[in-house]
Amino acid sequence: MTEPTQADGAHPRPGDTTADASPGRTELSRRSFLVGAGGVAAAGHALGSGQDAVGSGGASATETLSGTVDLELRVNGQAKKVAVEPRTTLLSALRDRLEPALTGTKIVCDMGSCGACTVLVDGKPTYSCLTLAAQCRGKEITTVEGFGSPEELSDVQDAFCEKDGMMCGFCTPGFVVATHAALDRKPDATLDEIKYELSGNLCRCGTYPHVFEAARAAQARRSGGEGK
Amino acid sequence: MANSNNGAADPTWGPRKDLDVLNRDDLRRIDGPDKTTGRAVYTHDVRLPGMVWAKLVRYPRARGTVKNVDVEAARGLPGVVHAAAVREAGETIAFSGSDSVVALVAGETPEAAEDAARAVVVEVEALAPVVTADQARADGAPVVRQRRRRPPKDNFSGLRENGEPDEVLEAVAGAAAQVDVTVEIPTQHHVCLETHGHVVQPGEDGEPPVLYASTQLVSVLGQQVDDAHGKPRVLTPHMGGGFGSKFSFGLEGKLAYELAHELGRPVHLMLSRSDEFTMGGNRSGSWQRLRLGADAEGTLTALHLEAEKHGGMGGGAHAGAPYHYEVENVASSIQSLHTATDANRAMRAPGHPQASFGMETAVDGIAYQLGMDPLELRKKNLTSPTHHRQLDRVAQEIGWNDHPNRVAPGKADGGVHVGIGFGVAGWGPGSRKCQVDVTVEPDGGVVSATATQDLGTGARTYVAAIVAEELGLGIDQVTARIGDNELPPSVPSGGSVTTGSSAPAVKHAAHLAREALEAKLEPVLEAPVGSYTWKGGRVSVTSDPERSLAWREVCALLASPLRVTGETQKSLYHGRIHGAQAAKVEVDTLTGRVRVLKMVAMQDQGLPLNRMALRSQINGGMIQALSYALLEQRVFDAQDGYLLSDSLDTYRIAGSREMPELVAIIDDDDERDAVSGMAEAPIIPGQSAIANAIYNACGARLTRMPFTPDNVLEAIHGKV
Repeated sequence: MTEPTQADGAHPRPGDTTADASPGRTELSRRSFLVGAGGVAAAGHALGSGQDAVGSGGASATETLSGTVDLELRVNGQAKKVAVEPRTTLLSALRDRLEPALTGTKIVCDMGSCGACTVLVDGKPTYSCLTLAAQCRGKEITTVEGFGSPEELSDVQDAFCEKDGMMCGFCTPGFVVATHAALDRKPDATLDEIKYELSGNLCRCGTYPHVFEAARAAQARRSGGEGK
Repeated sequence: MANSNNGAADPTWGPRKDLDVLNRDDLRRIDGPDKTTGRAVYTHDVRLPGMVWAKLVRYPRARGTVKNVDVEAARGLPGVVHAAAVREAGETIAFSGSDSVVALVAGETPEAAEDAARAVVVEVEALAPVVTADQARADGAPVVRQRRRRPPKDNFSGLRENGEPDEVLEAVAGAAAQVDVTVEIPTQHHVCLETHGHVVQPGEDGEPPVLYASTQLVSVLGQQVDDAHGKPRVLTPHMGGGFGSKFSFGLEGKLAYELAHELGRPVHLMLSRSDEFTMGGNRSGSWQRLRLGADAEGTLTALHLEAEKHGGMGGGAHAGAPYHYEVENVASSIQSLHTATDANRAMRAPGHPQASFGMETAVDGIAYQLGMDPLELRKKNLTSPTHHRQLDRVAQEIGWNDHPNRVAPGKADGGVHVGIGFGVAGWGPGSRKCQVDVTVEPDGGVVSATATQDLGTGARTYVAAIVAEELGLGIDQVTARIGDNELPPSVPSGGSVTTGSSAPAVKHAAHLAREALEAKLEPVLEAPVGSYTWKGGRVSVTSDPERSLAWREVCALLASPLRVTGETQKSLYHGRIHGAQAAKVEVDTLTGRVRVLKMVAMQDQGLPLNRMALRSQINGGMIQALSYALLEQRVFDAQDGYLLSDSLDTYRIAGSREMPELVAIIDDDDERDAVSGMAEAPIIPGQSAIANAIYNACGARLTRMPFTPDNVLEAIHGKV
């Protein structure tokens, strides 16, 4: 159901979403979640501004989701229908609920420590384990599968293969996505800046030096105009 | 590659300069495109029709008596498929680990399983935790490991004593230089990014069960499974790290297997990260006291080691004394001290990093006491010329000869100081029998197949590359099939045995395929078996290269697929490896903060099968050692027995900003015509080299890992 909240879509005020805040508002529970400027912030997921919050196509709508709902997500340029609960993370929506599942995005720490679940949401690297699927309606989600395929690798994926930027490979998708985001944001990043940009991702096998080399190789090729 | 003209012959690896595929600097691993695009399917990623999501419910503390496990509320929740206690009232939870699993739940979705887990009501009467070494040693401590026959009276076990302690201690006391040092090493976790677990497709209608398993022993995992439903198929196309922790079907496997058959539906049961830290194994911690004596020239004369291995419910591991260095007179006393915590498992070079840390600390101490160069003192007491060569090379690479503190350390004067330290390694990788099938199709396709697993080492790549080399093909012309127990048998990947076992078998199979093809060529190119050269996608008569055929033309001679089976050949393997490392650190002696600036490792292993993947593994060893040295330790709450370090926030591992400059040097002076595994060796000496570098920088001897600022400041100022 949808109902309007703050008319101007301004910064949300905590307390707006208490269960009895207004007649007709559905009670907020673990199984329901208010989507929109007020709801998102009040639930503890403070976003930068009201404009950053997710509404169904607009800035000021708040909607209560309850039970299992069908959501449309834009994943790798395609509209995908997925049945989620309000609490379903973007990570779980991609891995566990999409048909067919997109399992390139990995689950490792499930609490925003390791970056294995990194995807792009509207171009920004995002921990999908800390992001609710319902927050991503209307946003462009890019997973590791969206950058390239084994037959047609992205420049970063190719550089990871060229420099052996992987061992077991379980952290690799997160690093590939984070490296794409880093090079897009900072085409001239120094080695130290690349290390900083990738510091949200953990690897256990110890691939870091080759990951850095891969990032540098992709960067060099882009600046030389050879990138794909 | 060139081959002899003497008819059928035993395979050899041949001169390295003649190799086109192996030993290259730019050989890409063949599963790179799948791994970098997210197409590689790991056990965690397996999705089967009708699959349910299972989850373990654990008592979160160490010891207790079960009063009640109530699953009724969980059963009533929407989407919950299964909720059952696995422990009964009155039973004892003996330790934090698999023993603390009290219930198993499953749901139609991960969220439903989560709900069910939270709804299980667990009542346990807590017992004294016994989770720290001090608690386990205390007089009257509860005995955590029970045994029906000859019940133990305390928490010690497995005492092994060697040598004549009195004589040795007397020799140490009379030595020109003496070190008496006690070191403490915390428990380390493997931290496989893919947790332990399985997806089980139940066996039915005469079809055997299928286990998708994140395992290090594809070939023989099935032997750990009750085969009432038929011999299980085991599939591990990719696995997200093992490091020695994934040799067991485990409680999680057993429960998933039983549940799948009870429900008649596939079950997905992967440990949560918290489960993984609690019950996924560890490297045992250690307490050691070393007393080492040397003569005035720096020759080590006597060593006494007293050690406790802290392996929880397991025995723990320690590689013994002396570690690599020659010491004339040695006595040791090593025993296990048990706590009520998860048993240690094999972890990359079990017992060796612990032994290295104690020994290298003591050896380093002797050098500075005598005012000798610690590099020279090491070489004086190491007999292997390989160790000498490798130490010299890493010293050169790290800049030892230009370093000011070569015979005396810097000072902890509140400033920031740079130091350099060293350590050595060694390992005896094995080789056990395994088999490989190579199939050549009339259309030119080649498949190399064996049941091995690729833990990230690059095993899949050499399964193809060795065949490509032998047949003069590109690596993309050979398909590698691994990770399936229906393929020819392979070995469990432990103790660096995989390469020494698998690679010779691949080579043998490829060699047999080549000889079988040469037999087909005899009537066509009119030269006997053994007188052909296979290179660049063509075969030619070695003595008359004009007589040649393209690969496709060779295969067209086959009426049906050619299949040969190779077996491990001992002549293709030689497994005695060394290794030396150097570390350069910066120590802020005011704050105690340590930054590793550079690490250098040199490693021998015979013929490199893939130089880039080899450097990846050497780097990995250094990085895991750096992480162990600076960050890692398992922490229990001693009062209540909770595992506090059960997440990647509370159990830190090294990230990109901790990365120093890393130099991985392949020892190309090791010219043996053989292959060997090497993964264990490069993880062994890194933390020792870092500790010695800290001493070299500022004169503070770090005896307790990890080298966090508080431990560094304590080493500088003493306990405050």
